[in-house]
Amino acid sequence: MSTETMAGRDRSAAARATGLTLLIAVALGIGALITAFPFFWMLATSVKPQREAIDFPPTILPQQPTLEWYGQLFTELDFGRYLINTVIVVLIGFVGLLLMAMAGYAFAKFDFRGRRWMFFLVLATMMIPVQVTMIPTYLILNGMKLTNTLVGIALPTLVSGFSIFLFRQFMSTIPTEMLEAARLDGAGEFRTFWQIVLPMSGPILAVQVVLTFISGWNSFLWPLIIASDQKLYTLSVGLALLNQQLAVNPSLQMAAASVMVVPILVIFIIFQRYVMQGFALSGLK
Amino acid sequence: MRNRLVPYFFVTPAMLLLITFGILPIAVAAVISTTNMNISAFASWNNVDFVGLDNYAKLFADSDFWQALGNTGLFAVVGVPAIVILSLGTALLLNRSQSWFFRSLRAFYFLPAITAIVAISLVWSYLYNTQFGLLNYLFSLVGVPPVQWLSDPWLAKFSVALVAVWRGTGLNIIIFLAALQGVPKEYLEAASLDGAGEWRKTVSITVPLLRFAIFFVSVTTTIAWLQFFDEPFVLTDGGPLGATTSVSIFLYKEGFRLNQFGYASAGSIVLFVIIAAITLVQLRLRRADDEY
Amino acid sequence: MKRTAKTALAIAAVAGLTLGMSACSAPTEEASGPLTVWVMGDSGTNFETLVADSGIEVDVVAIPWDAIDEKLTTAVASGNGPDILQIGLSKLATFAEAGALLPLDSLIADHPDLAPDNFPAGVSGTSTAVNGEIVSIPWTSDTRVLFTRTDILAENGIDAPPATWDELRADAKILAARGEGQYGYYIPQWDAPLPIEMTWSMGGEVIDADGNVNFDTPEFQKAVDLYTGLYADGSVPTNSDFDQTQGFISGIAPMLVSGPYLANGVSSAAPELDGKWQASPLPAGDGGSISLFAGSNLGIWHNSDQVDQSLALLDYISQPEQQLAWYKLTGELPTVNAALSDATLNADPNVQVYTAQLATAKVLPIVANWDGVVGTGLLNALNSIVLTGADRTTALDAFFAETKGLSIK
Repeated sequence: MSTETMAGRDRSAAARATGLTLLIAVALGIGALITAFPFFWMLATSVKPQREAIDFPPTILPQQPTLEWYGQLFTELDFGRYLINTVIVVLIGFVGLLLMAMAGYAFAKFDFRGRRWMFFLVLATMMIPVQVTMIPTYLILNGMKLTNTLVGIALPTLVSGFSIFLFRQFMSTIPTEMLEAARLDGAGEFRTFWQIVLPMSGPILAVQVVLTFISGWNSFLWPLIIASDQKLYTLSVGLALLNQQLAVNPSLQMAAASVMVVPILVIFIIFQRYVMQGFALSGLK
Repeated sequence: MRNRLVPYFFVTPAMLLLITFGILPIAVAAVISTTNMNISAFASWNNVDFVGLDNYAKLFADSDFWQALGNTGLFAVVGVPAIVILSLGTALLLNRSQSWFFRSLRAFYFLPAITAIVAISLVWSYLYNTQFGLLNYLFSLVGVPPVQWLSDPWLAKFSVALVAVWRGTGLNIIIFLAALQGVPKEYLEAASLDGAGEWRKTVSITVPLLRFAIFFVSVTTTIAWLQFFDEPFVLTDGGPLGATTSVSIFLYKEGFRLNQFGYASAGSIVLFVIIAAITLVQLRLRRADDEY
Repeated sequence: MKRTAKTALAIAAVAGLTLGMSACSAPTEEASGPLTVWVMGDSGTNFETLVADSGIEVDVVAIPWDAIDEKLTTAVASGNGPDILQIGLSKLATFAEAGALLPLDSLIADHPDLAPDNFPAGVSGTSTAVNGEIVSIPWTSDTRVLFTRTDILAENGIDAPPATWDELRADAKILAARGEGQYGYYIPQWDAPLPIEMTWSMGGEVIDADGNVNFDTPEFQKAVDLYTGLYADGSVPTNSDFDQTQGFISGIAPMLVSGPYLANGVSSAAPELDGKWQASPLPAGDGGSISLFAGSNLGIWHNSDQVDQSLALLDYISQPEQQLAWYKLTGELPTVNAALSDATLNADPNVQVYTAQLATAKVLPIVANWDGVVGTGLLNALNSIVLTGADRTTALDAFFAETKGLSIK
């Protein structure tokens, strides 16, 4: 075939490809706007004065934006303290992250007695409806004297079957030769884990960091039940408190909700890069 | 050689926590389900009697329970495929290009997944409100009469499921996107050279290579939807007249609003068995490709 | 993952653990520490203001309305509760039966200000006793009255709010005729007390002479006639998510039966409507105008180790000045008779309507799980009749069967 015809064919193929990309970009853009619309609505309402927020017909863009609600959250309603508590709960969650990575590694790379049924237990915990475990779990924490503590709040959801499952799938693709090589060089087991397995698990760790952050940040049920002291409430509970029987201040509620979403978004944007590039080594093929 | 105890050292802390907060409570619940325990039990343990399998018999004779089972089944059958297909489709489209535009769109699609349910309920209750909500207002601008999103029994199921699907796709899109990074470009290029079109390439090469991711998303989404709770709870409180009550909401109401712990525990054991059975079926179907 | 990021993660984990551990020191209950008080909603700061000058140290914990069930159940299960807690009247029986509340009969002998005759008959002493024991002290009251948009009524030829249910039904029909999407009245689909108030005003009771729950009465049937009639006339909206406050402000539902919280909501959200709406007594039936006595009481946790201090605080809160101060802070009405008849309180014409209504108001029967069993059953039966066209006799018979055997003990 002559070079000219080939070049021509490539050019029109390229043009078609670009056209398709453009079309997809537009469709996705519209989809993104629709998907994120409730979020924008939330932000818009959070700066509306109270009267405007409950106006009918509803206004899309705020006519008289005000930041008074955000101010009120932190000055009158103690959201600063809730924020600190939530951050602490999240940090404790990262301890759980480490434990889950260790467990996933064990399931993936070791053959030991009891592995099968232990892993089955891991899966089983994913299938348990949380409503029924609430009271027994509370009694257990009470017995351990951990009620009304931040550790008690973080503990029930510290470790999840879902994450161990995910770690295990991913880590099973790490070449065993690398681990053997490290052991032959005299590295201890934990050192091998810390210096080889974890770095190679970068992307899955990134995913789990985001997930742990989200679950800790949005935690509502346990902080509510376990904290007898309002000083231990987290952001979610603070938000629920604003829900009076006849909610007439949607702006304040939306401001609180917005405060909750923004940090997660920031974390996500930072970590998503690791998520993407890493899965190239995918155990998720 | 390697110390035989090493794997136990790695696995124990997490297993201890899982057993204490995951397995132990369900064992306790199983025991409670054979009693008639309610709130008076806390005043005195004498108020609790062993009733064997009575709770289970009552459960299966309770029409509200069957309604909840039916709703849960319907939600799962409709919701899970919807989420898998939508997430996969969106991920495939988002993967079209690595340009900054496409990459920044990802954050938008992830937004619903990271917003607290409390906030979601506020926003969507408002959007769906029959008289004062935004959706009906927009409809009125084009002459469509107000829709009773959350009051009509069938429409309410749809409205609630829509919010749940909206919320559930975010994380799965990310998982699929990540898995897509692992599809070797060479395969796709070779197929292009052979003259395969976009659709053909996607269906015959990309999707099969995503088998595990699709499986993972399907299993986890199914388990999640069988425990469907948040969205119907905050939007309709299981109404109208039980139309959106899932098994989880039924259990919650029995256990916490009516304080019938024995009865609620029986229901949760039933739910657990159903979820375990369905998951096992899914795992068996997949046996061929994986070692478990 | 990059080295620095990994190190950061490790530091974060350790930091989290240490911080968590340090926060681990749970406050131990000494017999001389601050009193722990559980209050509903976001009224934490208000309560602190209320007791600031009492000389008693108080630690207030606010509990979200939606989560009160979980919170109380887990507290009862573990035995760890506050010293004093706010209890909605509808939950009183449930928690008394769980043994959560300290019986107070002998204890209030030394506190004359807490004696039953300080409070309206509808809520004091035996009216809210469980198993014959007094387990709570009335704190705030709430009732249901009629609110009307006098301007809209006048525009449609109605110069005074309806005084009887028949008048209400007729007026609602006129107002609903204003146009598409306009109504005359609103029946909240979650309002279980409403049909009961209707029954009372028809001269009936829901508890028979032996203390058993019994809805199978002619007066209840008249109430059901009224309830279903309003729907049949097309005077009320049929969707479950109708927003009362916005409905009233926008004029879509210019007549409502609701409580003082509505008045507060409307005045703060729509001050421009001042003078265009008013409260008036609940419409009457053959049995008069009898409304609901709702509100919250305060109880002492059964194993509190600061009972004397708690009683002292309850005493303080029950003084008329504090009762009036609470009203100023939150808009929640007092229960102490002296406070209810206070002149400055009744200067507000709306409040005059409330206090007058409270004089004849009744509490819902103090039966465990009233909301969950009777309330839900009643609403399901009525709503299935008016919303899905279920057969009236079948639905009501099923309801009567469900509630058979319940009684106040």
